[in-house]
Amino acid sequence: MIRDFNYLRASTVKEALDLLEQHKDDYKIICGGQSLLILMRQGLVAPEYLIDIKNIKGLNTINFDRKNGLRIGATTTHRAVEKSPLIKKHYSVLLDMEENLASIQTRNWGTVGGNLAHGDPAGDPGPVFIALNAAVKMANKERERTLPLEEFFIDYFETALEEGELLLEVQMPIPPPKTATVYEKFNIIKNELGIVSVAASITLDENGLSCKDARVVLGAAAPTPKRAKKAEQMLVGQTLDEKLLDKVSEKASQEADPIADIHATEAYRRSMVKALAGKMVKKAWEQAKTSA
Amino acid sequence: MKKKYTVIDTPVHNIDGIAKVTGRAKYTFDVTLPNMLHGKILRSPHPHAKILNIDTSKAEALNGVKAVVTGKDTLGVKQGIWRRYKELCDEEILARSKVRYIGEPVAAVAAVDEDTAEEALDLIEVEYELLQGVFEPLEAIKEGAPQLHEHAERNINVTRHIEWGDVEKGFKKADYVREDWFRCSSQAHVCMETHGAVASFIPEGKLTVWTSTQSHYYIQVLLAGVLDLKENDIRVISRYTGGGFGSKFELDSAQFCSSLLSMKLCKPVKIILTREEEFMATKRRTPMFYYVRAGVKKDGTFLAKEARVFTEGGAYTAMGATALYLTGFFQTFPYVWPSYRYDGYRVYTNTAPTSAMRGFGAPQATFTAETQIDLIADELGIDPIEIRRKNGMYPGYEVPGQAYIQSCGLSQCLDKIEDWVKSRGKLPPNRGIGIAAYGFMSGGIFNWFDTPYAFSSALVQVNIDGKVDLYIGSQDMGQGSNTTMAMICAEELGVHVEDIRLHMGDTDKCPVDLGAWGSRETLMQGNAVKRAAAEAKRQIMEFAVAKMAPNIVYDLDIKDRWVHLIARPERGLSYYDVVKEAIRGKDGQPIIARGHYTPHRKGMISPAYSFGVQAVEAEVEPETGKITLKHCATAHDCGQVINPLGVKGQLEGAIAMAAGYGFTEDLPMDEGKILNPNLVDYKLLRATEMPETEVVEVETYEPEGPFGAKEAGEGLTNPTAGALSNAVYHATGVSIKDLPITPEKVLEALREKNEKKEK
Amino acid sequence: MKKTLLNITVNDETFELYIKPKKLLVEVLRDELGLTGTKRGCNTGACGACTVLLNGVTVKSCSVLAVQAEGAEVTTVEHLADGAKLSALQLSFLDQGAYQCGFCTSGMLMSATALLNEEPKPTREDIKEGIHGNICRCTGYNSIIRAIEAVAEGKYREKR
Ligand SMILES: Cc1cc2nc3c(=O)[nH]c(=O)nc-3n(C[C@H](O)[C@H](O)[C@H](O)COP(=O)(O)OP(=O)(O)OC[C@H]3O[C@@H](n4cnc5c(N)ncnc54)[C@H](O)[C@@H]3O)c2cc1C
Ligand code: FES
Ligand code: FES
Repeated sequence: MIRDFNYLRASTVKEALDLLEQHKDDYKIICGGQSLLILMRQGLVAPEYLIDIKNIKGLNTINFDRKNGLRIGATTTHRAVEKSPLIKKHYSVLLDMEENLASIQTRNWGTVGGNLAHGDPAGDPGPVFIALNAAVKMANKERERTLPLEEFFIDYFETALEEGELLLEVQMPIPPPKTATVYEKFNIIKNELGIVSVAASITLDENGLSCKDARVVLGAAAPTPKRAKKAEQMLVGQTLDEKLLDKVSEKASQEADPIADIHATEAYRRSMVKALAGKMVKKAWEQAKTSA
Repeated sequence: MKKKYTVIDTPVHNIDGIAKVTGRAKYTFDVTLPNMLHGKILRSPHPHAKILNIDTSKAEALNGVKAVVTGKDTLGVKQGIWRRYKELCDEEILARSKVRYIGEPVAAVAAVDEDTAEEALDLIEVEYELLQGVFEPLEAIKEGAPQLHEHAERNINVTRHIEWGDVEKGFKKADYVREDWFRCSSQAHVCMETHGAVASFIPEGKLTVWTSTQSHYYIQVLLAGVLDLKENDIRVISRYTGGGFGSKFELDSAQFCSSLLSMKLCKPVKIILTREEEFMATKRRTPMFYYVRAGVKKDGTFLAKEARVFTEGGAYTAMGATALYLTGFFQTFPYVWPSYRYDGYRVYTNTAPTSAMRGFGAPQATFTAETQIDLIADELGIDPIEIRRKNGMYPGYEVPGQAYIQSCGLSQCLDKIEDWVKSRGKLPPNRGIGIAAYGFMSGGIFNWFDTPYAFSSALVQVNIDGKVDLYIGSQDMGQGSNTTMAMICAEELGVHVEDIRLHMGDTDKCPVDLGAWGSRETLMQGNAVKRAAAEAKRQIMEFAVAKMAPNIVYDLDIKDRWVHLIARPERGLSYYDVVKEAIRGKDGQPIIARGHYTPHRKGMISPAYSFGVQAVEAEVEPETGKITLKHCATAHDCGQVINPLGVKGQLEGAIAMAAGYGFTEDLPMDEGKILNPNLVDYKLLRATEMPETEVVEVETYEPEGPFGAKEAGEGLTNPTAGALSNAVYHATGVSIKDLPITPEKVLEALREKNEKKEK
Repeated sequence: MKKTLLNITVNDETFELYIKPKKLLVEVLRDELGLTGTKRGCNTGACGACTVLLNGVTVKSCSVLAVQAEGAEVTTVEHLADGAKLSALQLSFLDQGAYQCGFCTSGMLMSATALLNEEPKPTREDIKEGIHGNICRCTGYNSIIRAIEAVAEGKYREKR
């Protein structure tokens, strides 16, 4: 049962921040409510004030320019990301990711900001954005701040968002030349939350031979989306071969810190990280070769 | 010879179709009455505990709460659906002194709205004395295990023995004997409409209950028993039911609690279970531990089989006694086993009761038997189709002491599926095709409910304008029986489906039928309808004879609303005209006819059996163990097809459900607590997981069925898990004997296989 | 807690309702407006039985607060037919037997309607994904897929 609450609708960022400040300690932000309402129904969240940010003007925009890269406003729906020609052109991995995220109904109403702020380690955007080197912009009544996304996630369902703070946008730089980013989640039923997932971003040198930079990010394999940094390091400076991929996969699976639940044991999650990590690195690598 | 029909065997829109696609169909969930209150049920959080005290005062004091009931407000009747055997009636529904599973109802509240009722639940204080629980049948049956019911030592609820032939001799003669242990998991029905009821009691002493059910008759009788009312002072109404699959023909907590509350308040009370309650506290498919030993000759001839089963009964009997019998019986299906011995034990455990679910014990039997048969065939180097053909049942076969098989299209089904398998050619790597043969009953024979009525009855009234009122007692929960009955009636009377006005789902208006379970409707209700229509037609013919003066009355027939001479169809009269005159001639009385059917002298199980063979093509990803279904081809012998659209729908739906049983669905528990009681964590197949489905029709004529028809509903659920396990085996070389076949189990088995190979 | 005023257009009719802010869209549609064609199978956003169109796109009405539909246009299954004239999808569902118990059907039809509005010529994969969010326990989906395909192929153009 959802407990009664006072409903407040903000139409500008300023209005929202004022309301957050005013009702500190006893509010909850709602955007699409796709995750929040489930918690409210279970009685796990029962705020006195519910502050609706879904209709804030200008917060649901997708912007891209050659200098600053991509900026996705917090209230942008998953579906808007999926349907954006800009994203299809410049960040097609996000399209792949969105097309496999939940059902269309959920994507139509759920938002990117809500997804990140929810802090589910099995969420899809987290690992992909981190692989794309994303940062998040947040604000409270006093100030604005920007944080690399990998520092935003703190623990299961816990983020760096503080009382009174609103997530404003996700920012992604223009990827360096010869870079490709790919993502896959492993699940039994399509589009459901992944048992594990892996995003990989590979930057090759100008000849397209050796790896200049790598990001391997694991989803649902730790309390937060997690970079497999040792695996990444094993890639830098190397050329592609199967042995290397095996070693990288093995390392990534060691770096994972998964839980056991009804969907998989810890060991199986590690095996799946292993199965996916090499596959993703290889795929990204191959795409990077042909990318500009 | 195949007869020509004007109505049946042609695809017909479901007669409830327009109501359903326009959202007009009113389910129990949609019923609202003036002054209606909303109820909620408090359920035990403990798997095994004594109830010491229940204090409802705080809940009653809450603003908006109208009544609270507990076990003390009941008559304390231990009810059950196996009414013929007192000791199997063991469930109070509202527990009085002891709870035996998590989710067992202990109190119920009626309030002005759902939220208030739910709030009140938190205010009810129940004092429990916790008892040790036992959760696995193999533990519960041990000496010294916690005992659930006083009457059941070692928690043995029901036992079943089936035996024929000389089993020992059979095994002695066998060239090859193999034994396997299997574990069959549980499964939730997941009807999209959860259980629910709206009960309305009036001071005159009459109770009306709208409810989502597969059998309004059973609910009427069972409610009468627990409320001490006359059966016919209770009216049960159920026009549309949002799915049943075996979960909705026993008395449930929504029906019982809403009735109790309504009787206390004389106001309507609505209780709709939440999806979570539906998972935790309604019945489910019976998990089974299965030991199967089979002895065969070198050439694949079956000689002897022995099966031992321990089923996880959960806290109460429910329909579990039937599942225990049927799994033992169908273990041999659809084959001739010269000797067979079965011992089944249903064991009480502190888990949600297990009961009927589509297939009713047969999917477990078919999974275990068909998996083992492929292992045997492989060992002996015999083709899987061949070994099945060699041992298959045939028309006229008698299962010793159990059943008599009249129609049987198994061998045609095998031929068709063999062709299909061949048509697939050479498969890509990591793919395999597995087949499974199966059969199922068309309704049960045994009167465990102890009804004095005929098993099915129907009433036909032909009115002055030729429109036909058909009153049936059967229940349509989506399987399409309303349409089937209208078609049978129209065919027999010689009119069109549009001429039939169907009346169902109301005990006040409809004759008794035992309900939609055990795949009984087409055959049993169908026979009753056909008989009633035939009798109405006979009455019409009395008048036609006078007009048309044929040599004998049998020279006449009605087809397509045309009463005519069979030999000279152009000579005839309009059906409408004849009906008008007939009614005039009958002193102005409409033509009324009744029909009924009760199977008898047809063995122990069922009057007729469906047969079929299914092939599943699946791909297994070696790195992850993930299974993808590619194709599923089925040849099903359901006798004469009545509505081809209906049969296909039943088949495809069964595949989704049975494939789910095979590889995605499960109800994992921790100390009796179901860990995935929601549709996010309980994995159902979605459109994206469905394989291409091919249906190959095999028609036979079943003498016992209406127009030669038999079942096409539950039986279709039987083969898929077994066919899938065989597909996985042929794709990878590993056989998983533990349902569901998860990627994790496949990967582990592959790892073990590779390790063995390396050694 | 204060009730809030909700201005909402449902099936081309506008309503002014006073509701508790915690009311879900599905509750307002069913309980306040009597539009019981929209079902509820889970109340957790997983089954799609409650799917309606909100400003032309599908949402799960059990997972949207009604107050968030302020000023919006909602379309439910009751609005698909034009009087006695069924929509192409409704006709096709009948022809293909794309429903059994019918409890998922409203939601299915709404997802299918939105799919074809957006993509009149979907591939089979598109269709599967278009109804991925809707669980059907009865039909095994393939008849539903065929029904949508038939409409996409233009089989019902002249019948309308
Ligand atoms: C059935 C189902 C399946 C799903 N499957 C997937 C999946 O496969 N992959 C996946 O990644 N996700 C999945 N999700 C989650 C879904 O993506 C998220 O629910 C959705 O994106 C959340 O967005 P929202 O706007 O609805 O957030 P809300 O539910 O409104 O909010 C979520 C949380 O974020 C907070 N919040 C929201 N916006 C802000 C903000 N701007 N600043 C600060 N805090 C904020 C809220 O207070 C709340 O705590 C699924 C959800 C459902 C219901
Ligand atoms: S009821 Fe809304 S998704 Fe199930
Ligand atoms: S028709 Fe019953 S759930 Fe779809």
